[in-house]
Amino acid sequence: MKRIIAALALFLAACGPKGSGATEIRVADAWARATAPDKKATAAYFTIANSGGAHDALVAVASSIGPAEVHSTSMDGGIMRMRKLDRLAVPKGATVKLEPGGTHVMLTGLVEPVKVGGNVDLTLRFEKSGERKVAAAVRDSSGGQM
Amino acid sequence: MRRIRLLIWILVALALVGMGLLLLNRRPMPEPAITITGTSFGGPFTLVGADGQQFASTRLAGKPYAIFFGFTHCPDVCPTTLARLARLRKELGRGDDAFNIVFVSVDPEQDGPKEVGSYSTAFGSPVIGLTGSPAQIDRVKKQYGIFSEKVPQGDSYTVDHSAAVLLFDRDGAFQSTISADEQDAPAMDKLRQLTA
Repeated sequence: MKRIIAALALFLAACGPKGSGATEIRVADAWARATAPDKKATAAYFTIANSGGAHDALVAVASSIGPAEVHSTSMDGGIMRMRKLDRLAVPKGATVKLEPGGTHVMLTGLVEPVKVGGNVDLTLRFEKSGERKVAAAVRDSSGGQM
Repeated sequence: MRRIRLLIWILVALALVGMGLLLLNRRPMPEPAITITGTSFGGPFTLVGADGQQFASTRLAGKPYAIFFGFTHCPDVCPTTLARLARLRKELGRGDDAFNIVFVSVDPEQDGPKEVGSYSTAFGSPVIGLTGSPAQIDRVKKQYGIFSEKVPQGDSYTVDHSAAVLLFDRDGAFQSTISADEQDAPAMDKLRQLTA
């Protein structure tokens, strides 16, 4: 009996809120760019808001359609350089925006075209907050700003 | 009195030497992405079009053009830049004939005529996609002052490259550039001037 109660207590503790230092991560405005014909790579973007009391970081992204990596884009004397980011910091109180020409999720090895009107399911793994799932709406090459 | 004056002069001399040293030791400026060398900047060139045929730069004569170098596996900056050019050309309100948008691959190993051709159709507006042999691409990169370099990434690679759009007038003379981080308003001014 004691053992059952202990197990139950553990279970409840695992389910409950994480205490004062907990992060509060919200992912919004997710979208992915439609692929050009025959292209096997594109990018996805979203906004991460951390309204909790602790720093967090995005450490992995998985997509429903192929390998995904977080990449930074930097301009160095007019030269564009794209690099893999192993960890994207999301400090407490900060909003981190992934957007065209900047940090983005690169989707590669695509077998099927990514078409306007569809969705790309993304699973984001955070260092402290665990996983968040978002559906990135597919927009045309301009990001729907035409 | 004379001694004080001498002291002041010594201080001035020391300050000048110090400033000179500071200037000498300043960190070197980053290499400019685009090196403009007199009147030879830009064409003429011969590359390969989406149809697999030779494409001579004389086909661009008579109309201004905006030329951008990239690669079709580029997921972010390249489509963003080309889509923006297409959008600005629409906003200019003088149709697709106002100026040509030219895309040249700096990754000829992966981008054949078919690849640049299909890529160029993705922007809802005509884009001239060009590639060529590695030697042809190298020559054109030099002519346009473009830097590019393959960088291994996992089991594939990415390409670092100059990201500015170069604007040439209807006589093929270089006019200005639009950088990737430039706002729409100044970019639009340049396009208006280009097509005036």
